[in-house]
Formats: sequence, C-alpha cells, structure tokens
Amino acid sequence: MTQILSTDIEAKPDETAAKPGRAVKYGWAVPFFVVPFGLLFVLFYLLPIGYAIVQSLYTVERTGTFGPAREVFGGLVQYQRVFENGPFWESIGRVLLFGVVQVPVMLGVALILALLLDSGLVKGRRFFRLAFFVPYAVPGVIAAIMWGFLYSPNLSPLKSVTSVVDLLSADFVLWAMANVVTWVYVGYNMLIIYSSLLAIPTEVYEAAKLDGAGAIRVAWSIKIPLVMPAIVLTTVFSIIGTLQLLAEPQVFRSFSSAVTSTYTPNLTVYSTSSIPNFPLAAAFSVVLALATFVLSFAFLKATQRGDR
Amino acid sequence: MRKRLSVLLVSVLALSACGSGGDTADTDTAAASCAPSSGPVTLTYTTWIPGIEKVVKAWNDKNPNIQVKVQTGPNGNGGTYANFFNQLKAGNTPDLGHIEYDALPSFRVQDGLFDVAQCDIVAKAKDQFIPWTWNQVSFGDAKSAWGVPQDSGPMALFYRADLFEKNGIAIPKTWDEYAAAAEKVKAAGGYITNFSQSDINQFAGFAWQAGGRWFANDGQQWTVNLTDDKTKKVADYWQNLISKKLVSTVPPWTTEWDNAYNSSSAWTWVSAVWGANSIMSGAPKTEGKWRVAPMPQWDAGSTVAGNWGGSATAVFKNSKHPYEAAQFALWLNTSEEALALLNQEAQLYPATTAGTKLPFLANPVKFYGDQKIYEIFAQAATQVTPDFTWGPTMTSTYANASDGFKAAVSGNGTLSDALAAAQKQTVETLKSQAIPVKE
Repeated sequence: MTQILSTDIEAKPDETAAKPGRAVKYGWAVPFFVVPFGLLFVLFYLLPIGYAIVQSLYTVERTGTFGPAREVFGGLVQYQRVFENGPFWESIGRVLLFGVVQVPVMLGVALILALLLDSGLVKGRRFFRLAFFVPYAVPGVIAAIMWGFLYSPNLSPLKSVTSVVDLLSADFVLWAMANVVTWVYVGYNMLIIYSSLLAIPTEVYEAAKLDGAGAIRVAWSIKIPLVMPAIVLTTVFSIIGTLQLLAEPQVFRSFSSAVTSTYTPNLTVYSTSSIPNFPLAAAFSVVLALATFVLSFAFLKATQRGDR
Repeated sequence: MRKRLSVLLVSVLALSACGSGGDTADTDTAAASCAPSSGPVTLTYTTWIPGIEKVVKAWNDKNPNIQVKVQTGPNGNGGTYANFFNQLKAGNTPDLGHIEYDALPSFRVQDGLFDVAQCDIVAKAKDQFIPWTWNQVSFGDAKSAWGVPQDSGPMALFYRADLFEKNGIAIPKTWDEYAAAAEKVKAAGGYITNFSQSDINQFAGFAWQAGGRWFANDGQQWTVNLTDDKTKKVADYWQNLISKKLVSTVPPWTTEWDNAYNSSSAWTWVSAVWGANSIMSGAPKTEGKWRVAPMPQWDAGSTVAGNWGGSATAVFKNSKHPYEAAQFALWLNTSEEALALLNQEAQLYPATTAGTKLPFLANPVKFYGDQKIYEIFAQAATQVTPDFTWGPTMTSTYANASDGFKAAVSGNGTLSDALAAAQKQTVETLKSQAIPVKE
C-alpha cells in the first residue's frame, strides 16, 4: 500500500515544490488532516518497525544456568544467526514456490471472473459479484479450519477422494493451502480488477466495435491492457501476502504431519518468539520485511519498465 | 525519503533509550521478600482449567480482603505461555499463572518467577506434597520453590475391555506383550493406539518411565541428553510399531483424533489421569466400554509409572502481593474444598499426599464401567520416579522434536533421527540464549 502511495507522490514532486506558499494559505487544514494519520502511522507502523530493528541488534548474556538475562548490544550477531539458519531459508524458498504457482492462478481466475462479470454474458451480475466476494469475509483462520475438515482423510464429506489421496501429506499440503488462500482472496482481487474495468470509458468500446472487434478481442486488446495497473497492484499485494503466510500454516500444523514449526518464514518468527528469543525473532522479521520490500519493488520496477 | 529516514532514526533512538531504562529497572526489583500486604488486595490469575471460575468464587466468597480475578486462555503451549513471555517483557504479568512443570524452568530462566519458598506458609506446606511433584517446582534445591504444585499426571493404560475380551486378547502387562497385542488388534481390524506425533509430552512420559533423563543441571551448565540409551530404547520400540503400521498416527487433540477413539479404531491409550476426561469428551459413543490398568512395564514384574503433564500455580516476579498470592495458591492446591471442585470440574488429580486419599477419588466412575479408576492412578502416582528434570527452553525442544516426529510418521527418517536433531537444535537454542550448556 505504502509503496504505491509513495510512487504516486514522487511522480509529481514539482507541484508542491513549485508553490511553497500553498501550505500557508490552507493554514491549519493541513496539519488537521495529516496529524491523525501521521500519529497512527508513527505509533503503529514506524515505532514497531523501529523497535524490531533495535531489538534485533541486541543479544542476551547471562551467568550460571538460571542467571538472569542481560540484554546487551550485539551488533549483527542475530543477523548472522538468521543467515546461518537453514530452515528459515528453506521456508522462504517454500513460500516463493507457493507464490510462483498460486499468485498467477489466483489472479488469472480473478481476471477471468471480472471479465465475465463485465462482459454482460452473465445474468444476476450483482449476485455473483457478492457471491465471489463472500469467502473474503470469512476470517482466514476459520477458512483454514473449514478446509482442514474438508481435507481430513477420515472426516471429510469427500472421503472417497481424501482417503485415496492424502491432501494433508507432505506432497500435497502446500497446494492444499494454496487452494485455501485462492478461495479466500480470489473474490477480493476480482473486485479490484472489476472496479477498474468499470472505470474504462464506454467510447473506447464503441470505437473497438466500429473497428469490428468481437467480445474476446475487446477483452484481450482493450480491457486487459487498461486494467494492467490493477493487476500489478493485486500482484504486489499477493507477493506481500505470500511471504507473510501465517494463519493457514499455523492452523494446518495441528491437522497435518507435513507442516513443521518452521514451515513459512512467519511461522519461524512465531516459533522463535515463543521460545522466547525476541532478538532473533526480530532479526528474522527485519530480514523478511526487507525481502518483501525487495521483491515488491523489483516487481513494480520490472512492470513499469515494460510500460514505457 | 530522507525525511522519513530521519523520523525513523529519531524513533529508533528514542526507543533504545526507553529500552535500556526499562532493563535496569527490572534488575533492581530482584529479591523482594514475602511479606503480607496491608489492606485489601486484588490478585489476577491466568489459567486454562475448565470451570475454574467456580473454584475461585468459593475463595472470593470467604476472603473479602483478597479478591482473585481469574482470566482464562488457551492451554500453555497453545498460546498462554507466549502471552506470559510477552507480559514479562512488558512488565505486566498477572500475579499468578498456571504453568506446567515442564515449562517452569523456561520461566525461571527468563527471570519471571517469584520464589514462593520465601513465604513461610509455603515452606511449611512442603511436606504435604508428593515428593516428586515438589521436586518439579524446586528443581532439586531444598530452599526454593518456583510455584505451588497443583496436579500430577501419573500414567496408566486405558483400554477397550469389550474389544479385548471379544477378540480373546490378554491385557498387556509389559511393553513386549503390548507389541504382541498390537499385531492381534491389527488382525482384528483396529489399531492398538494412536501415537502422538506432535504432542511430545506423551513420548516424554514413556521415556520418563523407561529411565530416560533428558536434561541435567549441575549448577554450572546444562546437559542435554535426548538420545540416552533408555530414550533410544523407547524410540526404537515405537518406531517399530509405526513402521509396521500397528499404530495410527492421526494428529493429537484434533477432531480426527477424537474420531479414532469414538469410532473404535484405536483400542488403547497410555495416558495420564486427566486423559480420562479426554476420552469422555472425545469418544462419548464408547461409554462404559473403557477400563484402566497399570502402565505396561519394560521388565515383567516391575512397577514404574511415567508422568504426563501436571502443573504448578506460580507467582510472577512482578506481583506486588506475593504473600497473598502464595496464600491463594496454597488454598487452591491443598484445601479439600478446592481439590474436590478441581477434580469435579476438570478431573485434576491432586499433587498432595492427603489429596490423593480424598473420599471423592474412591468413587466408581460410570464412564469406565463403574471402575474405581483413581485407585489405579493413586498407585501410579507413587510409582513415578522423582528425578526427571525439564530443560530451560522446552517450547523449542518440543517444536523441534515434533517436527522430526511428524516426518517420521510420514515415513521420512525415524524417531531416533528426530531426537538426535532435536538434541542438536536444543543445544543451539540454549547457546543462542547464552545459557551455559555442555556440548
């Protein structure tokens, strides 16, 4: 979210810079509108991040087997532990694999659904729009528990499938979770794409029709290119969401033999903080946040270059 | 961007200032003594015992000057311990907390507990407790107690009397007989039991019975020994049953697990006394068909029981009223009134010697075909060897071992491999916490 905002702002820096007198003209209005946001932003965003960074630079010292711990400045000791931690990097690899498969599938489905709703082929558009969106209203944990039951080898209503193929086994569980995530988020992403489809001016379609373009041609050559920004946006959200996977694996951990305490990066953070080893957990979080930023920015840059 | 960075830096610096200030304050409050407070006090108490509100109400009605406010949460490893650790960090723990024996060292190593042996009332009560339960809170130090023992989890064999009888299988008295029975049960279309792949405490109870000792603390350093011969014997035994598919391995504490027992797929469960409640609530269809027998033995004729679970009521270090907190903890865990309520509401089994002889424990239990099941557990409680020590980072040891056990039941590696890996990771965890450990 923030990176989108910042690119918007940075795109037109000359406007504010050119007219320095503006701020005076609006007087107290500017702080009035900015302070509430700024305060919350600092309290719930910058401070926690700052605190995590500070925490990650500490290490624990003690004497004796039950000696009280002293937190002392340890420089980058925790980061060294992060980079030596095999399971953490395995878990990053795992969510990347998850993302490479799940994100395109989910956004592809979302795009197709959005195009179908927009095409006028479907009757009861409002009903379907709501119906696709409903899973998003189900809290992630509840969705995971519900699907966990559907996958369960002995309790599932689809027992004829699940007793033959154990969807909770090491081979399938990652994709079983991908299915849950897709189910939850497809409607949400569809809605973003669909609202951007609604914003396309009808003249464009009329022009295309006059040129003899059919519905599929319009979808391919006009709609998809014009909703590209929305697709990029949803992709960035999805990349972030993928790296942050927690609720689904945490719930599946109790159902499945294949989900370990370090299955995803955030699960590693969670397990580490419940040891409790707060400095190391903070270092994991900082590294994870950096990886998320790098990936999201890399994706944004790559797609922006494609545009120009 | 530069502006943002400077804001960030300022906040970071401000925080580091707060951080170091807080730390010094923490170390200053050490060694508070245990003196009664003047005037009325209110204590906070966090636990996950079902029905605890009734027990606390009984106390509050009689003690207008020491009112206890109870908060309930998920079980310890399910989230309450994580909350406690966070509250410790933030300096706002409740006065009293429910902590299982295996987690007490973890809280002590985080410097979170008040030594209740400083309170004369607790020191005097020491002899009321079953020696090994006291040992679990004193860590072998005669002058300390890091909580008041609450309950214990002596283990025994729950079995389906009807199915064993119908198929002409004798009730196993040794682990060898148990393995032989497992073959017959499998032939009859069931599993002798379900092996707990993710709750390592059950396995710890087996290892405890066999004489395994996972941790030792000589005052200078810790020794981690998850792979001693005794533990390895237990691991190989269960690995054999898993490999031959004689036991089921559905994850414990799930609906799937309940279903395994409710649908008569699993025929026995070697579990603790509180397991009686788990079967009653998880497998209601099997009412009247279960019985309890002593835990199978490694050597024919010996009488050694394992222990699974058991908790203490601990007083946190930040408590301003440790004396009153200790008073409540003692009442909760030694008075007949409280023990009877705890047993009635949550099937807790007392940790005091007198408690195990209370009349309500001699009652027949309908669900178990009117067997007087607590007699078996009373016997087992005296057969638990006292000197099992828990490590200072059990949350992580359990998570590591469980990761390996899960792999083993899926056919990747063995239980012994899992323990060897957990051994290595536990040593790592201790080192990263700067806890001295022998490598």
